[in-house]
Amino acid sequence: MKATAVRVRRALAMRSGDGLLRGAVWVLLALVLATLVGQLTGAGGRPDAIVGPRLQPPGSGWLLGTDNLGRSLLPRLLQGIGTTLLLSTLAVACTAVISTALGVVAGYRGGRTAELILRIGDVLYSFPAIVLAVLVAAVLGPGRTTALAAIVLVTVPLMTRMVGVAARAVARREFVTAARISGVSAPTIMLRHILPNVAGTVAVQGTYALSVGILVEGGLSFLGYGVQLPDASLGLLIQEGGLYMVGAPWLIVAPGVVLVAAIMAINLVGDSLRDRFEPRETRSLV
Amino acid sequence: MSEPVLELDDVRVVFKRGRGHTVTAMDGISFRIAAGETLGLVGESGSGKTTTGAVALGLRRPTSGTVRFLGAAQGRRRPRGARAGAVQAVLQNPHWSLNPRLAVADSVAEPLAAVEAGRLRTHHPAALRILDQVGLPASFAQRLPHELSGGQRQRVAIARALITRPSFIVFDEAVSALDVSVQAHILNLIHDLQTEHRFAALFISHDLAAVRYLAHRVAVMRTGQIVELADAHRFYTAPRHPYSRQLLETL
Repeated sequence: MKATAVRVRRALAMRSGDGLLRGAVWVLLALVLATLVGQLTGAGGRPDAIVGPRLQPPGSGWLLGTDNLGRSLLPRLLQGIGTTLLLSTLAVACTAVISTALGVVAGYRGGRTAELILRIGDVLYSFPAIVLAVLVAAVLGPGRTTALAAIVLVTVPLMTRMVGVAARAVARREFVTAARISGVSAPTIMLRHILPNVAGTVAVQGTYALSVGILVEGGLSFLGYGVQLPDASLGLLIQEGGLYMVGAPWLIVAPGVVLVAAIMAINLVGDSLRDRFEPRETRSLV
Repeated sequence: MSEPVLELDDVRVVFKRGRGHTVTAMDGISFRIAAGETLGLVGESGSGKTTTGAVALGLRRPTSGTVRFLGAAQGRRRPRGARAGAVQAVLQNPHWSLNPRLAVADSVAEPLAAVEAGRLRTHHPAALRILDQVGLPASFAQRLPHELSGGQRQRVAIARALITRPSFIVFDEAVSALDVSVQAHILNLIHDLQTEHRFAALFISHDLAAVRYLAHRVAVMRTGQIVELADAHRFYTAPRHPYSRQLLETL
């Protein structure tokens, strides 16, 4: 564990001057903090309170304007960010665990095990994401659980394949062969040799899945299968804002900007994660 | 001569390539290696050297023929489990011979942990002792592979192979990727360690100069067959097979 701590510290010291990454981390932190503060202290008012006339541009009582019912956009936006981030993060955590386990086993075992795992993934992958999501909704009924399950189902196939490919490449390396010759058991090889060496892929694919997750949540909420009113999510807000885009553009601009900023920041963090946690050898694989 | 450590008897390995198309990687290969002896295995790429190494290590089951290790025929099932620790390998690419995320001491301790159970850290003292024997001071123990040179990595790989006191080690192109001066050091090291530990070795290489330095006997492979198997001295002074002569001319 001490060695791990040293390694992490060394990795962090290596590129502390990376301004882009810092910016991205700050953006994400700001989003999370704003949500927490908004939800905990009620700053910006209650999301369901009617504070003024309909469709007002940003003003003193309503910092980001009001929507079609006269509700202030700011508290709804904060609530929406929270819902979206929480849902996607939770879903991607599930995806990461499932895909990493399946991918590492497929990559190390190869042969029929890999065929089976990857073919099932291909079947899922052949459905358009939204069809899968609607299928899930038909089984579970609309709501947060549906959004969560849909994100997992949509992101698992690709991530499993990517982790599987990376694990396959690692499994062919000399140190894995040497471990097999030494009589190290298969589970130990997977945990000690394969898993740490695909961690970078998991991080990068995880962030990719996170942005896909945010988009899937948006799509589902648009169709009415995801987060339900009067709750808010970024997707739901953008959908609502789209209806009044000409007369009240602030309704779509604010959540849209937040969505783009969040996705960009997530992808930047993912890229840096790869650079940091992959010692330079592994990067040559890409 | 003492009891052979490894004995291959008329071993054939046939690969299937597509419909009805087969490749014979090993065609009636027989040889034996005694304790403390090095058999050099030379030949061009595609001649079946690496397959021979895999069969000797128990990684690949022969299509026909027998492989005896310390007198016992290789089992039908789980051939590796029974020989864990008794057989080790130093493999070709120093770049990938070590897990880039494992500190040197952990990599070296791993085979011992596999045989005697226990966590990697409990075997660190043994790892430090063996690292010292391959000429790496204790300060290397906590380093990561990317902080080492190619020669240092191969030293670590050798330490890892030696830690279980194996009776047989396969060196598969173990020095081919190193530059010449480093090669000489590593070859010296292998030679000294063999004198001390008396392991049997199969030294696979396309580099006849390196083989000459270590091998007691030399086998020349070509298209899956051994065309000449002779004492090293005799081989290098008076090769009999035309292909051997051709190989030696390039030296």
